[in-house]
Amino acid sequence: MAITIASDEPEYARSPSLVATFSRRLLTDPVTLVAVLYLGLLCLVAIFAPLIAPNDPLAQSILQINLPPSRDHWLGTDQFGRDVLSRIIYGSRASLELGLISPLLAALGGSIIGMIGGYFGGIVDRVVGRLIDLLLSFPILLLGIIVAAALGPGFWNLVMALVLAFAPRFARIARASTLSIRNEPFVEAAVAAGVRHPTIIVRHILPNIAGSIAVLITLWISSAIQLEATLSFLGLGTEPPRPSWGNIIRDGLNNLFGSAWPIVSAGFAITLTVLAFNLLGDAVRDVLDPELKE
Amino acid sequence: MWKYIGLRIVDAVPTVILVLSLVFVALRLLPGDPAQVVLGDNATAAQLELFRKQMGLDAPLWHQYLSFMYNVATLRFGRSLVNGVPIIQLLAVNLPYTIQLTIAATFIGVALGIPLGVVSARHRGEPLDDVARIFALLGYAVPDFYLGAIFLIYLSLDLGLFPINGTGSGLIDQMHHLVLPALTLGLVKAAFLSRLTRASLLEVLSKDYVRTARAKGAREGRVIYRHALRNALLPVVTGLGLSILATLSGSVAIELVFGRPGIGNMLIGAVETRDYPVVQAGIIVFALFVVLVNLAVDLLAIAVDPRIRVR
Amino acid sequence: MTGPLLEVEALSVAFGPKLNPVRAVDAVSFTVNAGEAVGIVGESGSGKSVTSLAILRLVPDPPGRIVGGRIRFAGADLLSLPPARMPEIRGRDIGMIFQEPMSSLNPVMTIGDQITEAVMLHERISARRRRALALEMLDLVGIPNPAERFLSYPHQFSGGMRQRVMIAMALVCRPKLVIADEPTTALDVTIQAQVLALMNRIRSTFGTAILIISHDFGVIAEVADRVVVMYAGRIVEQGDVRSIFRHPAHPYTRGLLQSIPRLEDDRRRLYQIPGSVPAPGARSAGCPFCPRCPDRLPICANAMPPMAEVGPSHHTACWTNPGASVAGAQ
Repeated sequence: MAITIASDEPEYARSPSLVATFSRRLLTDPVTLVAVLYLGLLCLVAIFAPLIAPNDPLAQSILQINLPPSRDHWLGTDQFGRDVLSRIIYGSRASLELGLISPLLAALGGSIIGMIGGYFGGIVDRVVGRLIDLLLSFPILLLGIIVAAALGPGFWNLVMALVLAFAPRFARIARASTLSIRNEPFVEAAVAAGVRHPTIIVRHILPNIAGSIAVLITLWISSAIQLEATLSFLGLGTEPPRPSWGNIIRDGLNNLFGSAWPIVSAGFAITLTVLAFNLLGDAVRDVLDPELKE
Repeated sequence: MWKYIGLRIVDAVPTVILVLSLVFVALRLLPGDPAQVVLGDNATAAQLELFRKQMGLDAPLWHQYLSFMYNVATLRFGRSLVNGVPIIQLLAVNLPYTIQLTIAATFIGVALGIPLGVVSARHRGEPLDDVARIFALLGYAVPDFYLGAIFLIYLSLDLGLFPINGTGSGLIDQMHHLVLPALTLGLVKAAFLSRLTRASLLEVLSKDYVRTARAKGAREGRVIYRHALRNALLPVVTGLGLSILATLSGSVAIELVFGRPGIGNMLIGAVETRDYPVVQAGIIVFALFVVLVNLAVDLLAIAVDPRIRVR
Repeated sequence: MTGPLLEVEALSVAFGPKLNPVRAVDAVSFTVNAGEAVGIVGESGSGKSVTSLAILRLVPDPPGRIVGGRIRFAGADLLSLPPARMPEIRGRDIGMIFQEPMSSLNPVMTIGDQITEAVMLHERISARRRRALALEMLDLVGIPNPAERFLSYPHQFSGGMRQRVMIAMALVCRPKLVIADEPTTALDVTIQAQVLALMNRIRSTFGTAILIISHDFGVIAEVADRVVVMYAGRIVEQGDVRSIFRHPAHPYTRGLLQSIPRLEDDRRRLYQIPGSVPAPGARSAGCPFCPRCPDRLPICANAMPPMAEVGPSHHTACWTNPGASVAGAQ
């Protein structure tokens, strides 16, 4: 048996690619796999809603109000005679649209503000920092409610409300990362070499914070879906008659003695979807940045 | 210690001003014309003009800002557009109910959540811990208004154990009406607090001074309750502040579900009826609440953790 | 009292998954007599700290567990005691001092409370008596104005003072043995000397036995009568401190002693034992020091050398020791 003298330099294992790591996680962790499959299914349902839904979600019929589940209406009908299942299917669109767009836009807006504050420092940063801290002290839901109440109904108003609710969280990470990178020697070298600020921000700062931001985006998708559902429930979100899981529950509350199916099924859909995105977010975070773990 | 408490209170003043300024910005500078929103699409230009004049929206911005701040400071919230009731009266009626609900839910959340967290930490890895983890996950994913609606359907409607809506009269009856709403919010809160307590306690239990306590001859019970918990509860207290605010925001939906009066219900109703001054007042109240709760949490932290006083 | 105060016999501590454990401490045996000071010296990863924790059964489980051996204290085997009995022994019969005084003291309790707690856990006396004992101890360890400092918090003390507080806390019940795990590593050199002098003074005043652990041979030499040298979880040499200093029998000990810089040295570079400590999981059947050993023999890679005598009160586990083959053959 040969003895090798241990060298002073440890060997570094080459890290596998992200896709490989994620795929391995999918195969070994059944829970994550189920979550991903569910979400894939949900996306298909949302995209192909017109093909999948048995009925028109907006079609009302006085003769068919509050029917229990049957072959024609798997989940029954609501107080307006609308097919609950179709409404739930179409409701997935509202959730996914807002759930996916808002974190992206919030990441964009929040990161820009955070980067500006962190990069320029001084009084700009103090103002930005104070603002961010203040907004962070508000729970996301409350911010969403306040902005939605102030802006009024409408799709883009809702997007705005969601974006403003999440932006501070992105701003904080962007600012912190920017502050730490700003003082790195290679940035100072670039400044000394005369590179202009916007270029430095885009070419040097941005790539370094992109990882954390990406992880945050996936983490906040489930929150965005919850927020949209809650705002829709409150009447501040997706406007009726367009269905959203939140406003289905709202209508359902006005119809308690009629049928409980809309409430139960819509709430179930919200819970499953939020859970699934949450699990997905955990998996992505574990793969991209294990240090962020609890 | 009192010096730091005083400093923190003084620091709250610019925060309040900043918050109110932000609210002003939200109300006035964001896209959307309040006159249009309130009066609808069929309003004539003259009607819109009159509305703006009445609400003071035609004055230059800085003037609006100053009068806004002045009005808030002197509690001049105006009157409801719908029924002319002075808004300050509306607040006086609704605020106690919201506070009542928030306190009850906080009580339930703390009484259930913190012990659950301690037990999970002590029995880490065992089935009890897994159950607690599932409970916490559900607490996060299940929307509070959904839980409330389920309780309403099955416990109130089907089983008739609890009233369906309102607040009741007399102490016992009021408590009876408070149970389901507070339980709904409290369970969600307990899930969050149990997670936080568990994580914090586990971290503290791995600290050196816990090892020292054991090396001194303290029994496990004493180590946990006398040494570890006091330190572990510090982040929980901070988390509690955030949690109280989360409960406050949740109360908006819960008040709707259970038909309870409260600031949230008032706000949502005002949005529906486009009662602009009431919407404004509701937003201001919530914003101030946030500043107040954060202040209270910071003061509590100063009182509890001697290290903070050194700053 | 007849017999040694502390007798550690073939102690083994494993870490990690049950299917693939790693031995941080492997068949370690040594004794401490009443009133004696014994030092354990070794690099990081040698298992010296784990050994000291194991005596009080403070090894965190998970991930570690004691998997073999006996630890006899005043005749009784500590490892066979029910775990609930250990708190009685900790603090009262055996005291312990840790390396980082800042993190080892509870930040939200006054030091007065922490010291009186140590008394309260083991003695039923009045609060006034407890406080008096605590003050007496604080004075003994050299804390000025003990009555005032009683109400202070740990973060209000300097590092050296905090370590004195730890010593006071460990000694307040007058234990027969004090284990000091790297007590001076986190302190400045001048404070180090003071703390070590304090420990010697305590030993001579109360007759307390001391087990001191350090990677610094100089610290050990200040305090210990006998030394145990550990490498990769095993004891490679042990004996009288003077004997080891003058005639180190194990190549590792020689390497350690050579690494201590001396004033009269005119070397340009500090001496360094080539190679590094093997990772805990990567140990082979032979002597763990073999890969780095300048005196290795063919047998060293394949068989573990037995502990054998080198001189009076001096033993080593090395195949270069002439006494080794005799012991191995027996």
